[in-house]
Amino acid sequence: MSRPVNPRAMAPARAGRTRTAAPSVPDRFWSAPRMRRYLLFDATGITYLLVGLSILRVVWALGSGPEAWQTVLRQFRSPAYLAFHALVLLSVVYVGVRFFGLFPKAQPPKIGPASPPPGPVLTAMLYAAWAGATLVLVLVLGGVLP
Amino acid sequence: MSDVQKKKFVVTRFDPDKDEVPKTQEYTIPVRPDWKVLDALNYIKDEVDGTISHRWSCRMAVCGSCGMLVNGEPKLTCSTPLDEYGDEVHVAPLSNFPVIRDLVVDLEGFLDKFKSVKPWIVRAKEKAVEEGPCRQTPEELHAFKQFSMCINCMLCYAACPVVANVPEFLGPAAIALGHRYNLDSRDEGAAERNEVFRGEGTVYECSYANECSEVCPKNVDPAAAINQAKLLAVLDWMKSFVTPRRGGE
Amino acid sequence: MEVFRHDIVIVGGGGAGLRAAIAAVEADPKASVALVSKVYPMRSHTVSAEGGAAGVAAPDDSLEMHFKDTVKGSDFLADQDCVDYFVEQAPKELTLLEHWGCPWSRDEEGRVAVRAFGGMTAKRTWFAADKVGFHMLHTLFQTSMRYDRIVRYDEQFVTKLLVDGGVVKGVAALDVREGTMRAILGRAVILATGGAGKCFPFTTNGTIKTGDGMALAYRAGIALKDMEFVQYHPTGLPGTGILITEASRGEGGHVINAQGERFLVTRDYGVGQKAELGPRDMISRAIMQEIAAGRGIKGPYGDYVHLDLRHLGEAKIMERLPFVRTLSKTYAGVDPVSEPIPIRPVVHYMMGGIDTNIDGATALPGLYAAGETACVSMNGANRLGSNSLTECLVFGARAGIRAIEFARGASVGSEAPLLAQAQEEATRIEDLRGRRKGGEKIAQIRREMQKTMEEGCGVYREQASMHESVRVMAQLRGRVSDLQLEDASKVFNTEILTALELANMVDVAEAIAVAAAARRESRGAHACSDYKARNDQEFLHHSLVTFTPGGPHLDRKPVTITRFQPEERKY
Repeated sequence: MSRPVNPRAMAPARAGRTRTAAPSVPDRFWSAPRMRRYLLFDATGITYLLVGLSILRVVWALGSGPEAWQTVLRQFRSPAYLAFHALVLLSVVYVGVRFFGLFPKAQPPKIGPASPPPGPVLTAMLYAAWAGATLVLVLVLGGVLP
Repeated sequence: MSDVQKKKFVVTRFDPDKDEVPKTQEYTIPVRPDWKVLDALNYIKDEVDGTISHRWSCRMAVCGSCGMLVNGEPKLTCSTPLDEYGDEVHVAPLSNFPVIRDLVVDLEGFLDKFKSVKPWIVRAKEKAVEEGPCRQTPEELHAFKQFSMCINCMLCYAACPVVANVPEFLGPAAIALGHRYNLDSRDEGAAERNEVFRGEGTVYECSYANECSEVCPKNVDPAAAINQAKLLAVLDWMKSFVTPRRGGE
Repeated sequence: MEVFRHDIVIVGGGGAGLRAAIAAVEADPKASVALVSKVYPMRSHTVSAEGGAAGVAAPDDSLEMHFKDTVKGSDFLADQDCVDYFVEQAPKELTLLEHWGCPWSRDEEGRVAVRAFGGMTAKRTWFAADKVGFHMLHTLFQTSMRYDRIVRYDEQFVTKLLVDGGVVKGVAALDVREGTMRAILGRAVILATGGAGKCFPFTTNGTIKTGDGMALAYRAGIALKDMEFVQYHPTGLPGTGILITEASRGEGGHVINAQGERFLVTRDYGVGQKAELGPRDMISRAIMQEIAAGRGIKGPYGDYVHLDLRHLGEAKIMERLPFVRTLSKTYAGVDPVSEPIPIRPVVHYMMGGIDTNIDGATALPGLYAAGETACVSMNGANRLGSNSLTECLVFGARAGIRAIEFARGASVGSEAPLLAQAQEEATRIEDLRGRRKGGEKIAQIRREMQKTMEEGCGVYREQASMHESVRVMAQLRGRVSDLQLEDASKVFNTEILTALELANMVDVAEAIAVAAAARRESRGAHACSDYKARNDQEFLHHSLVTFTPGGPHLDRKPVTITRFQPEERKY
């Protein structure tokens, strides 16, 4: 029916005079659509962890001689790795889009004497920065830029 | 009367003098198409089982009494249409709260948090009535108005994953209220409140899940308030190194 | 039994109760105030008020105009010294609320904006969009938290006034959570429990509005004054009775019948040039007459007419009346931007209440009352919209100050007789808990009471049906002592609350019916079909209903007229 949360959640400083049932959340709370979205957001963390590990592996291979390096490059072309990187890209896009959506409203109406730009402008700036950074990266990787 | 629609309600029951833990009880009752979830509960209370306990009053979504979980979702039951649900509807007390009885949760913990943000106008010198009302432009009013719309219905606390895990967390409604006063052009208490915000159960516990704002029935957007407060509280802290506070602490 | 001791005890945590509490602790730096409420204060029904609070603010307005509007609106039954005090204090009280953070709507220069309201000749209604009661209540509640000397007793239901030696000295209260009785003692008590709309089936009032304070005073021998005057708000949603604020007319909304005709303009209903901005009693009667003449629209909850806001446009509706839009969408399934709102008159407010003087003091030394539960009286036979929120502030503050002054000069004396009374009360409540032996169902008696009150004491009243109401109420008063209850549990037993509230309502409803049947004239909200004219010769007086074991006793009290002599009430 329900599963317990921290037993002190929303507990008053001075305990009430009658016994209460412990705070809980519904058993299948993750089946709520908005919860599922949030859990998906949280789960993207796993992909970043794996990316981190694979980068470590690349660095390790660099130090282990040309043969190891070639092996890593070969493996990276395998369908499994390509699928993984596609998943990582999706995660980054999902987190980026979610974050860009939530960012503007987190700006106070005034920061010191200055007012931040309106929400849509902020969002546009974020996407522009993202597109710009991606472009620079593509140019560097494509050898166009030094 | 064969065309009368019936629905089954699975209601969480708990009497601390009888039950070790909450249990559920089922009621199948006739419903009208224009009913809200609360109307069904009241029908059960009046006509079927007088022992069921729930809070409600205004039945126009402004007193904030009747927040419950409907099929696992935090809802104001007086404004939640019954026809959005199938033949079986689950009604339970708000999640993340200690339960006093049936659908009634303990609000005292919230009131502790509520009071700790000093939800009143703080001024170095109080204005006399004879001076008349303060001037406040529509823009200045607009800056905080949204955050003053909270009806304390507790849906945001029931939805927040941080509230579930960090008992000290001030939580959405309380922080939104403190932030509301910080943004009010008539108030001079931001420094005091920012200190509270940086203290135990700080605004920085918030992981911006945005769940509070998703369930808020009044579009207060507490998640926005908390995340604005994060920035302002840290700016205030940095400022305190540059300009020492008046009077000292 | 647990005993708590304070200087004064305030019953009710709405606008009047909170204002009284703040006034008391500010007037006396050492005062300790108990604020006892059957719900958490922010749930109090003040929260549902929408349109605004009246107080002279504009340069083209004056205290004299506010005074005259209020007295005329009251059909000359208001005590004019009270009205004078009220209009003078109103702007000050609203300014105080402003200083405490109430988000009043503003004009471009940042001054508090005012809007037009029914029966008012100038714009003088302060507003915070269309959630004025909500903002006032939350501002008061939040401000009250500054004072540690205001000690709240939330979700505690007062069942009896503790009286010794002819002086009130506290209350007996049921702790809803624990299910036990306690005595909360104080050298003065203020009742601020609001109205009693739930005596009627179709009302804007929340379910907590059960006339508790009126019943407490009534049973303690205090008279209820002018109870026959029940205000029907012209614009409630059919079925639910949810309030659509008068501000929608103040902002320019039209009332139209099935043919789309603005009957308040095209036909003579006595509102003259004011049209939709006429007083509530007259507009409610006009709507009932339109419906009776077959010019209403048929609906599942009876016939209704329309409130048309479409010509105001979406921008204005969203700026000034956003709550009206939400309510209409949620509870009537119409968007006022593109469709008219179905509306009909609905019980809204009790002009009558506990008989007090201008200080809020009752005939029982130490007992005060303020807000809707009191009748000071400034509303007479018909209250003007937006006067009541301000009334809570003005007379709440005054009662708070007077009560603390009274408490200073009084002593509790021996507690023993008070505790004995509270103990007796505990036994009575305990007998009621899970009372299996009774033969009457709460919901059944409530239905009968509400139906009878609607039939006997509606917008239009007939002598025969009013007398029938009196008869039925006397009978229900007997039956309510034979209730059958199912819930024997201790903790948060809401069934026992419902039973106690029902008993309160039956007492109040009986007082309403008795006072109504005796007033053989038509005045303000009391429109008697058998006596259509106002009769100043015989009835220019307040009516008093006092409880006696044999049944209600009727009496009268003169109206205070200072400078505005009664004249024909025409707009």
